[in-house]
Amino acid sequence: MKVTLERAALLKALGHVQRVVERRTTIPILSNVLVRAAAGALRLKATDLDLEVTEELPADVGQEGATTLPAHTLHDIVRKLPDGSQVTLDMSGDTGQLVLRSGRSRFQLQCLPESDFPDLAAGEMSHRFSLPAGQLKHLIDKTSFAISTEETRYYLNGVYLHTMEHDGATMLRVVSTDGHRLARVEIPAPQGSAGIPGVIVPRKAVAEIQKLIEDPASDVLVEMSATKIRLTLGSVVLTTKLIDGTFPDYGRVIPAGNDKMLVVPKSAFAAAVDRVSTISAERGRAVKLALSDGKLVLSVNNPDSGSATEELDVEYDSSPLDIGFNARYLLDITAQLDSDTAFLKLADPGSPTLVQDREGAPALYVLMPMRV
Amino acid sequence: MPGPATPSLERSPAAPPDGDGRKIIHVDMDAFYASVEQRDAPALRGRPVAVGGSRQRGVVAAASYEARRFGVRSAMSSMAAVRRCPDLVFVPPRFDVYKAVSGQIRAVFARYTALIEPLSLDEAYLDVTDAGGPGSATRIAEEIRAAIRAETGLTASAGVSYNKFLAKLASDHRKPDGLTVIPPGRGEAFVAALAIDRFHGVGPVTAARMRALGIATGADLRARSAEALDAAFGKAGRYYYWAARGVDHRPVKPDRPRKSSGSETTFPQDLTTEAELVAGLAPAVAAVWRHCEASGLRGRTVTLKVKYADFRQITRSRTGPDLLSSQDVLAATGRDLLRGLFPLRAGVRLIGLTVSGFETPPAAEPRQLTLSL
Repeated sequence: MKVTLERAALLKALGHVQRVVERRTTIPILSNVLVRAAAGALRLKATDLDLEVTEELPADVGQEGATTLPAHTLHDIVRKLPDGSQVTLDMSGDTGQLVLRSGRSRFQLQCLPESDFPDLAAGEMSHRFSLPAGQLKHLIDKTSFAISTEETRYYLNGVYLHTMEHDGATMLRVVSTDGHRLARVEIPAPQGSAGIPGVIVPRKAVAEIQKLIEDPASDVLVEMSATKIRLTLGSVVLTTKLIDGTFPDYGRVIPAGNDKMLVVPKSAFAAAVDRVSTISAERGRAVKLALSDGKLVLSVNNPDSGSATEELDVEYDSSPLDIGFNARYLLDITAQLDSDTAFLKLADPGSPTLVQDREGAPALYVLMPMRV
Repeated sequence: MPGPATPSLERSPAAPPDGDGRKIIHVDMDAFYASVEQRDAPALRGRPVAVGGSRQRGVVAAASYEARRFGVRSAMSSMAAVRRCPDLVFVPPRFDVYKAVSGQIRAVFARYTALIEPLSLDEAYLDVTDAGGPGSATRIAEEIRAAIRAETGLTASAGVSYNKFLAKLASDHRKPDGLTVIPPGRGEAFVAALAIDRFHGVGPVTAARMRALGIATGADLRARSAEALDAAFGKAGRYYYWAARGVDHRPVKPDRPRKSSGSETTFPQDLTTEAELVAGLAPAVAAVWRHCEASGLRGRTVTLKVKYADFRQITRSRTGPDLLSSQDVLAATGRDLLRGLFPLRAGVRLIGLTVSGFETPPAAEPRQLTLSL
């Protein structure tokens, strides 16, 4: 194998694939990236056995061939090469080593045979649709914060992607929850997506997809089978195993009867929550919301360090209510809202609260209170 | 509890405040081992009985009241016991029986409170502060004594007061088969009249040292300064100082807390559908949650037990990061575990649910509630 290409293009592609490679792995070849030179292109591939990212980039192929190289080392080398340089990967010797040349730099890298590199074997994909990258980004940006990291309920360790009839229209929905809060975001179902199986996309893949989306106007091709999902974003293809589990019936925890409406100025509210929570303890950063006619008093009481209160003018005309929330969760949710105001529907201090941009907005968040 | 208000107690600045409104019961079985033997062997009734040891050797583990009249005491050598009571009947101990009876007694206690601190097989402190309304501690103590008599055929003495020290003194006051109440405000007077060797924590050696210092009663002890007692008895001095004032802040520590709570249901017909199983689980969920509510304990591990029609039995459990906060969460976890059993290998004849990993949820600490997913 002998191939020459632009340092900048190679660096960018390596940046995409090397994130998949686990820093600590007991299987040596999983530390490597597969490089294959063929037909005027260099193809890179990295995997952690659950998630696989491939990328193809134009290259001057002198001799076709393939091998695998330590991904992080290769990325570091290319990163340190001077801007605008050309990189040549050469395996033409029979030393079992690859020679990387750029300008007057020369690296000799230990390789592992390409034939040992695992393949995720995606198999037949049963469903296929496209949507603008910007919409996909919107769906996952607004939900990824609520993905659970708790491994006992592994089926919450990802986002639930499915379609759903809602008000006579088919919607493509993404839902995530960690048991304390829940995010549900939807868009009109793109053509071809109706009838897809409900799937749980694991957290790591979600984070990679977020990073891979660069141009919101470009299209993303989504292909699915019962066990895998593959997204094609330009020259990058990400394939991941799905979480094999049943996502809970989340509809049950979305409150329908909450009748206490609250509208707060979003930024002022978030800033006030952030200020008063300065005083809260490390554990259970509870902030109390005391609501009365047109007024919200935020307070935090920490027996060890003191207390804080702040008052906000709000739209509220229901009966007075005291309710506690984790300050972190309140900030996470308000950060997802796009409008200048946050619209909350509350019931009582022990029941879930609904948060939205406005009544009926396509993104909704459910937050369980804290007992304070 | 009706009665005179707690008088203000003289205290040093470091002293914890008294009158924290606790209601403590000390229950003590009367001559436990010996009474069990007399209950089970009518021939022994009315006769002086020693459990443990033999005429020739060994040590008396327990003596019946008939034997005590002769001066026979537990921990006395058999030889010495026989010298005092030549007709003493020795019986070998049957600890498995005592343990079983002890279990019955603790089951009686558990009907009233989860705060039970067993001191031995036949003796325990109970904190019943939250177990009922005014005057309830005395009523509970009477009910416990009656239940023990009805269910075991044995008698117990009980003491009721506002701390452990006084409750134990009280239970000893009218033994056997007695009940003594030391209401708030009476503790100090009760202690004042007491000979110091009756104090819990004052053994023969300490008693002799106290007498040498001119301390014969609670009142004598009360007259000494904390510093003087510290100097004479070290760390224990502070305990005596407060004991003489009827003050004792030691909490009732359930030292062997209940590890789990479970309930199961056997069905008249085998269940086969998810809906049937979920419905079949409901009584167990309700029963287990009742225990959680009553004890104030919350677990984080839920274990589902299923017995199939072919009598094969399996369990599935899940431990969450949060204590189970509501019956809904418990029910949802149970449902989840049930779903994992499908497709069923056979019909289901029994479903059980157990919660374990109990903790007392921090009351003062804000607690995050969970969605009933």
